[in-house]
Amino acid sequence: MAFVEFTRNLKRFFPDLEPTEVSADTVAALVAALDQRLPKLASYLVDDQGRLRQHVNIFVDEVMVRDRVGLSDPLTPQSKVFIVQALSGG
Amino acid sequence: MSILTNDEILRYSRHLKLPTFGIEAQRKLKQSKVLLIGAGGLGCPIGLYLAAAGVGSLVLVDDDVVEVHNLQRQVAHNTAAAGTAKVGSLKQRLQELNPHVEISTHDRRLDAEWAMDVVVDCDLVIDGTDNFATRYLTADACYLAKKPLVYGAIYQFEGQVSLFDPTGAGGCYRCLFPEPPAPGQAPSCDEAGVLGVLPGTIGLMMANEAIKHLCKVGDTLAGYLLMYDALTPSMRRLKLSRDSACKLCGDQPSITRAEAPVVVCAVPVPEAPVPEVSVQEAQAAMAEGARFVDVRGPHEYAICHVGGATLLPLPSLDADSVAALQRDQPLVVYCHKGVRSRKATARLQALGFEKVVSMRGGIDAWANEIEPTMARY
Repeated sequence: MAFVEFTRNLKRFFPDLEPTEVSADTVAALVAALDQRLPKLASYLVDDQGRLRQHVNIFVDEVMVRDRVGLSDPLTPQSKVFIVQALSGG
Repeated sequence: MSILTNDEILRYSRHLKLPTFGIEAQRKLKQSKVLLIGAGGLGCPIGLYLAAAGVGSLVLVDDDVVEVHNLQRQVAHNTAAAGTAKVGSLKQRLQELNPHVEISTHDRRLDAEWAMDVVVDCDLVIDGTDNFATRYLTADACYLAKKPLVYGAIYQFEGQVSLFDPTGAGGCYRCLFPEPPAPGQAPSCDEAGVLGVLPGTIGLMMANEAIKHLCKVGDTLAGYLLMYDALTPSMRRLKLSRDSACKLCGDQPSITRAEAPVVVCAVPVPEAPVPEVSVQEAQAAMAEGARFVDVRGPHEYAICHVGGATLLPLPSLDADSVAALQRDQPLVVYCHKGVRSRKATARLQALGFEKVVSMRGGIDAWANEIEPTMARY
């Protein structure tokens, strides 16, 4: 199962967000599976057509995903996924 | 190549003795001109360490003034500087630290009118701003002018650092985050708070990237995003790449001029006007039985609140959470300064509450005009 972690600031919107294991073979499937556990999380990460939102990015094994439109980047059971969003503070 | 004076050789001697740094790197630093955008949490440590290190010329840009609540983290400013321009305060501090550095200031916000002019004139740009509009304008201007951009951003306990080099393969800021968040999807430090040492940590990482790039020493974060979590504590180095669909640096770019995007950080003000009352009117309403609803976060509520107010933080304000309110009781909604309360008032109206008003100026105005012994923040 892929292991997914989140940038800490997402806890503002999803206080129960914790690192978790997800069975998924693509990033798109991972996002859909996460939404089953935390409703509205998927709609924060992707738009209504499944495209990655413009202020969000996802890294698989510390490498930025290639496909922002379909999130077809493959996952293995050993994949480590990290989800980040833009910050503005200075 | 710049020549170091004997005074400078003495001052920078610990650099000059440093293997792989030495006098050549110090000379490169001296002949460099750095544009530092933002003289706040990030700008202060960056400015202090770049000035101390011997950057030849610094250009400081910020339109803000020093406020007392800045001093918990903006370490170049002091108490006496409260109310004065940040760029003036920072310049004075840096000049006292190192008179060899040439410092110029712009007491204004970077805007599209002159962004390219000021960026083109420098060797490297550092983004230490606190808002998305300036961040995207800076990123666009740097890419279009082919100037390296040291990027850093913070929120509460977390920070990000990178270096976007238009001549490299790692892509640009818009490859990482193509557009700013929609209103309400990214809060500001004003609302959420920030750990005081965090901008110091992130700012010094940014200064380090700037120095390495200018001196051509070591490896930089070009092509990587460094994520830092001060609570865990942990760091991650994430690999970036150019997005061929990027609007700025992609195969068919649509951004060809530096223009500020229209973004609203944190909570957007509702489009339709909502009923507002002054703090005096709110006090009178309270005497007649109105209920006060505090829509700030619990941490803000703990600092100060109007006696008897019900805490209902804006992010959780929905049909379930308002069950505690009575629909026939007049409601006075307040927040810190009156922005979030307008949003909350509109939401309460949408949920069917008719007797609801927003308190103009928030609890800050209440403390100033009604309850002067109350703590302000």
